[in-house]
Amino acid sequence: MVQRRRLSPWTAVVGTARELSALVVAGVTGLVVGGLSAGLYFTVAGVVLGLAHSGASWATFTYAVYDDRIELRRQFIGRSAKIIPLDRIRGVDITTRLRHRLLGVAVVHIDAAAGGHDQDAVLDAVPRAEAERLRLLLLAGAPAAAEGPGEVVYARAAPRWYLYAPLSGAYLLTPFALIGSLIGTLYNVGDDLGLITRRRVEGLTRDLAELPQWLVMTIVIVLVVAMPIASVVAFALVNWDFTLKGGGRPGEIVAERGLFTRRSVSLERGRIRGVELRDNPVERLAGVVRLDALVTGLGRAEHRGRLLPAAPTGLAYAVAARILGSTAPGPLRGHPATARARRVVRAMAPFFAAAGFAWLAGRASLAYVCLALSVLGVPLGLDRYRQLGHATGAGRLSVRSGSLRRHQAVVEHEAVVGWRLTQTLFQRRLGLATLTVTVGAGQGGYPAIDIAEPDAVAFAAEITPAWITPFIER
Amino acid sequence: VREEPQPGPVRLRPPVNRVSARAVVQWGLEYFAAWLTISLLSWGIVAWFAGADLEPLPKVVMDWLPVVVAGVGGLTVVVAPLWRYRVHRWEVSSDVVYTRTGWFSRHWLLVPVSRIQTVDTGQGWVERLLGLATMRVHTASHLGSSKVSGLPLETATRLAAELARRAHDLRDDAT
Repeated sequence: MVQRRRLSPWTAVVGTARELSALVVAGVTGLVVGGLSAGLYFTVAGVVLGLAHSGASWATFTYAVYDDRIELRRQFIGRSAKIIPLDRIRGVDITTRLRHRLLGVAVVHIDAAAGGHDQDAVLDAVPRAEAERLRLLLLAGAPAAAEGPGEVVYARAAPRWYLYAPLSGAYLLTPFALIGSLIGTLYNVGDDLGLITRRRVEGLTRDLAELPQWLVMTIVIVLVVAMPIASVVAFALVNWDFTLKGGGRPGEIVAERGLFTRRSVSLERGRIRGVELRDNPVERLAGVVRLDALVTGLGRAEHRGRLLPAAPTGLAYAVAARILGSTAPGPLRGHPATARARRVVRAMAPFFAAAGFAWLAGRASLAYVCLALSVLGVPLGLDRYRQLGHATGAGRLSVRSGSLRRHQAVVEHEAVVGWRLTQTLFQRRLGLATLTVTVGAGQGGYPAIDIAEPDAVAFAAEITPAWITPFIER
Repeated sequence: VREEPQPGPVRLRPPVNRVSARAVVQWGLEYFAAWLTISLLSWGIVAWFAGADLEPLPKVVMDWLPVVVAGVGGLTVVVAPLWRYRVHRWEVSSDVVYTRTGWFSRHWLLVPVSRIQTVDTGQGWVERLLGLATMRVHTASHLGSSKVSGLPLETATRLAAELARRAHDLRDDAT
């Protein structure tokens, strides 16, 4: 007999923690501002109702793992049951926020193969040990052996990896995001309490405009200095002690990261069809690259397929090779010289067009600025051309493109679900075409841009001869 | 038997079958409806600016914008359907669905039957008038999903049923 289990009793507290704290803050503010009033009673009633609701949903929810499926049942006024066959489960994530860790519980997110997000199931929350047990049980389809092979660690973040954070660009904006959300919160709270009036806003604006110049300069300098530091801090919070290791059973790969919110994502090696390496020009100079897995049927893959955050290139290639079972094919073959002019023209085109519009609109100075900017497209286009490449070998293929955001995909031949060859009128004149390898994982397809047309056909025919050769004309 | 590497340049030959000639009428009507809307919109916007006494762009541009839009639209409505008819072709071999579509840009798409997830056919109202249908072949990748419009209804239905059956017989996980 399979045991029906309940979530951890702490669920009621954790689940409503946010609502509770919001209500308590509102209640205390009400007490301070308006004394013992109706607002306070409403708050207390709200807290009680919230707890009652969480308690009821805890009491009415059960789950059970059978040999072939997991069932989640809710039985209150209505009834609902969700049944997920174990062989449809593509991944199990365990997330622990700070409040979960304090109470020794974890949220288990079960990712089912089907399309929509509503097909996924969440167990919020179970005890830590139970979460681990569930992960092994759900992914194996059978209870895992008590002792597996010794733990394999593919990679573990070295302290200097945190210093790579400013290179990625996105983390650099952290201080502004923080300030923005702080101002937004202050404004909303102030507005709710009726502290914000037109006169005060005007007064504040005037005060700001009258700030002495040295103070403004100091603030600007502090912000500029804060950008890289804050980016390192934010990066470290998310990626603290990033560890990529083998899971408790064969074929499982687990990525763990995070300081306060510790996330553990487990991937099935059998569903990994390839990897993607991404970097930008600064990261290329520093010899750093990010590594993602291309996993079939993985929802929100951009966060969950992460194999390595910004890490040294050599290590990233080594990890990719270990996970795919062979090194990436190479060296990449470059694309024809006729593709170079196309890359340059396309890199210059946006600002060139903008210059044209500015000139038409009679803004000569703006037109000159745009023209000057379009000249920057020359080195960009040249670099884009240099980065183009494709290769195949040892059951893997690889395509690479992009400059400011360069990405190289390495895909198993087996994973190819079709070929798309595109040729514009301009490409046709130059004998070029864009060949897209379509894959049921990652972004769905990876293009070899501006490859010579015969090379495109030959490349596809080399990888999947049975599909292409019947349609080749000589 | 392993194929020897081909000497000389290799190209894809066009797929065997053309779509129905009635597709020209269908595309013509669709382009006409789309470009009529765009022309009316551009004319309306220019008229509104004139009425509001605004001139965001020089007068020459404002005067000629609706004319140019209508001209491009008229040309597209005449040329594009015929051009598409010349380009659009399809073929279903024993294990690949091979299509060529597009006009200004051409797309060749090869979808192996063993990788097909679902096949469906659909008819818009213009297609119903003309007895045509569009067949869509979906794979696990949205980029590798192919669409053939302008097929006679009975051909589309027969093909879809046959492909679905063969895909089902062959299929493992199809990813």
